[in-house]
Amino acid sequence: MNLFRFRTLQSRIFAFFFALLFVTQLGSILVTSTLGYAIVGKMLGEELQTGKRVFMRLFEQNTAFLMQGARILASDYGFREAIASNDADTIGSALDNHGDRIDADLMLFIGLDRQVYRSTATGTLDIVPGRLARLHTEAPGTRTVALVERIDGRLYQLIAVPVTAPLPIGTVIAGFRIDGALAHDIGNITHTEVSFINGNRDAPERVHASTLDGAARSDIDRALDARRIGANTISEVALNGSTYLSLRATLPAPQAQQSGVVLQKSLDQSLAPFIDLRDKLVLLGVVGLLLSGLSSLAIARGITRPIKTLAGFARKIAQGEYSEKPVVACTNEIGELAQAFGHMSGEIASRESHILQLAYSDTLTGLPNRAMFHDRLQQAIAMTGRVGKPLTVMLMDLDHFKYVNDSLGHHIGDLLLKEVALRLRSNLRDSDTVARLGGDEFAILLPTADIQNARKVVRTLLGALEQPMTIEGQIIDVRGSFGMASAPLHGTEVAGLLRCADVAMYQAKRNSSGFAEYDARYDHNTLERLSLMSELREAVENDHLVLYYQPKVDLKSSSSYSVEALVRWIHPRRGFVPPNDFIPFAEQTGYIKAITNWVLNQGIRQCADWKRAGLDVNISINISARDLMNADLPVYFASLLREHGCPPERICLEITESAILDDPTHAMDNLKRLEAIGCKLSIDDYGTGYSSLAYLKRLPVGELKIDRSFVQNMVNDPNDTVIVRSTIDLAHNLGLRVVAEGVENAAILSQLCLLGCDQAQGYFFSKPVSAADFQAWVQSSAWRDQVQVACSA
Amino acid sequence: MSFTSAGKAAFTAALLVTAMWQAGHAATLEVELRAAGGEPVEDAVVYLRSGKTRGLPLRAADARIDQIDKTFVPLVSVVQTGTRITFPNKDNIRHHVYSFSKAKRFEIKLYADTPAKPVLFDKPGYVVMGCNIHDTMIAHLLVVDTPWFAKSDRQGRASLRDVPPGDYSLIVWYYMRPDKDALASRVSLRGDEKRTLVVKTRASE
Repeated sequence: MNLFRFRTLQSRIFAFFFALLFVTQLGSILVTSTLGYAIVGKMLGEELQTGKRVFMRLFEQNTAFLMQGARILASDYGFREAIASNDADTIGSALDNHGDRIDADLMLFIGLDRQVYRSTATGTLDIVPGRLARLHTEAPGTRTVALVERIDGRLYQLIAVPVTAPLPIGTVIAGFRIDGALAHDIGNITHTEVSFINGNRDAPERVHASTLDGAARSDIDRALDARRIGANTISEVALNGSTYLSLRATLPAPQAQQSGVVLQKSLDQSLAPFIDLRDKLVLLGVVGLLLSGLSSLAIARGITRPIKTLAGFARKIAQGEYSEKPVVACTNEIGELAQAFGHMSGEIASRESHILQLAYSDTLTGLPNRAMFHDRLQQAIAMTGRVGKPLTVMLMDLDHFKYVNDSLGHHIGDLLLKEVALRLRSNLRDSDTVARLGGDEFAILLPTADIQNARKVVRTLLGALEQPMTIEGQIIDVRGSFGMASAPLHGTEVAGLLRCADVAMYQAKRNSSGFAEYDARYDHNTLERLSLMSELREAVENDHLVLYYQPKVDLKSSSSYSVEALVRWIHPRRGFVPPNDFIPFAEQTGYIKAITNWVLNQGIRQCADWKRAGLDVNISINISARDLMNADLPVYFASLLREHGCPPERICLEITESAILDDPTHAMDNLKRLEAIGCKLSIDDYGTGYSSLAYLKRLPVGELKIDRSFVQNMVNDPNDTVIVRSTIDLAHNLGLRVVAEGVENAAILSQLCLLGCDQAQGYFFSKPVSAADFQAWVQSSAWRDQVQVACSA
Repeated sequence: MSFTSAGKAAFTAALLVTAMWQAGHAATLEVELRAAGGEPVEDAVVYLRSGKTRGLPLRAADARIDQIDKTFVPLVSVVQTGTRITFPNKDNIRHHVYSFSKAKRFEIKLYADTPAKPVLFDKPGYVVMGCNIHDTMIAHLLVVDTPWFAKSDRQGRASLRDVPPGDYSLIVWYYMRPDKDALASRVSLRGDEKRTLVVKTRASE
């Protein structure tokens, strides 16, 4: 929690209340202080002005007092008579007498002759008579003069009254000493600090007497030097570090001198109650701020803590933790919010688990689906990557599942899939993963198995699948093809491993071997294969392909023959490329379509050419499974026949048994359309696809070609002979002509003759040869003799 | 100059004495007094003095200085030594006339009407008189030891009549400069004569 970043609600609430109170408190303190200062300043100013007036009045009263005494003396007849008669004793006593009456500190008479007579109280002051006498002698008849004069280092308030008899004969001077006592007296009356100041032309004004102490007097002296004390305006002067409001008054003085009084009042002293009030306000403010800060923090926490709890709860929901409920002990809106959060969390949890179930499992079999399999494989790869142990992944595809679906219905198909799932699952360890990727495709993860272990596992699985399945009363044989790939042997990435397993699976399927391990040689996506692809395209476009022909000899007539067109690739650099090196590849990549088109075109043209040359020969052309799915094939085929002027019955299209079984519905459609065109149809490689003859019966085919694997071993293996014999018999029963491939010697040929096989094809007669060589072969009579020899035996 | 009728009689008697003393030879000296600026000076006193003038019989035996409206009237008087002056109080308040002058120190304590005894001025000199009660009241009196004196009128003219021919010092005195030496000039009087004199009027000159 950082209170000073105002992003959080808590800090904002706190800051708002704190600032509000702070401003209020500060405002009241400022107002109080300012007002106090202003009030005190004004009050003191007025007091000083009043003090000044009082002082001036007092000073005038003193003047009047002095004047009275002096005048009475000056007009006293006896006094004047004494002066006239130069009676010094009488003069002195008169001065004493009148001085005592007004309590004067100084009482003088100065004659026109500058003779000075003084009262006893005056003492032995060093009086310079000239200056005082001049007051009147230089302007005879001048009236009373009041002034402040410095005499012998002391300051006096003086009154000079002329003495006339009746013309001026001298001056009576009466004076009060201006000293600390007077300052204190006046200070007591005016309630101000009183300082008398005096200066002259040659010396600056200095405090002469004061109610203040020495240090303060020095401060006043400095203020006087700086002319900071005004006679009309109040000024602030610091004395001994505290502030005094000051005002001065000028007292009458002879021209050469300056005298005055400075009245002062302590601002600090008067402000003291306000400062006390301010201090209390500050204390109150601080306490208030503290309390309000704490309470606003508490309030803010009351609001933000549940919000934080909810935020934490929301984060947990975001991380996928739904187990906890938000604990907010509030009954207010936030409490409601918390309840809503809890409810929401529960709903999200249940929905997510449902979604997860949907997302990660296969609804039919209950097995994990592709997504989950990917996840687990990913984790397993990560794990094995860390510990350096191998894992194996398998892909399994049921053979001819579409056939089951089509012939027995989807319901049976689904039940079959469930049964397969059950068998796979029950034959694996719990730590292994079986997933249904879709359709009839399953994936198995053996997280701790290398390829050797995997081989054992796959054999167990094959065995489990071989056990016949009874589904709703029907016994169904299923076989699966397993492809295996191991990490890190074949890759360390999910996609790569699965692709390898896929390649292996297709290999297994092609070889009908049940299972296969990944072999880079079969991988059609290697760089070599990619270049092969472009080269193959080039070959088709530039006629690097060539058709070879292998005769099919009629065993019944011994002079009839037909021919199977076989594509060959004469590569400009590599030379002869065996069909097995590019045909499966072309089938997988889909390029077989272009090759088939090329072959059809070449074959039909050759057939037409030969026909025109007088060579009546039927040509068989191979159609791949993918071609069979191509709905355009019959149209294209028909257009070729027209183009080359070839009768359709001359052409026989050979389709492998497995091509039909992959997708029997589509295959059947196309086969029917081809048949309608008028061509012949033949089942190639019969015996490798486990198709039942009952099924074949429904196909519009007229010929069956027994796979060479059966034919080649017939002489050595009685079982194969049985298979060949029963196949021939069954085919004949179904009205099909039988062709045997792989006839390599006379022994096989004679056996086939015995079994009633209709046609034979193989190296014994001829390997596939060029069109020209085939023509030469036709001309030779060797093959006719061979048939006669073999079949007559 | 306004003398009382009694004064006039005394003055006439004095003239007669003098006339008899030097009959057929009497002359009149007309003096015109002017300030530095040329304006006439009033109330200036002129008198003639010689070795023979002292001790001559009074031309007028008495003189009078009234107090009217708290003012001495006349402001300036000149008398021959030995003259008696009465101080009649014409106000309805009392006055206390005094003088501390060396030529004559006296006081007439609070009185009303005419005091019983006139004051004898038996020494020549300047006498300034005041009232002890009214400070503003001042009278100037010059007591001269010669019968031939006069006071200038508003036109600044003063006539010294019936003066026997002879050599005199002509002295001028002005009350604003009472202590300064009176201006003196030599006059050889053989017949009627006119003189114009410049008078310093200010005290500080």
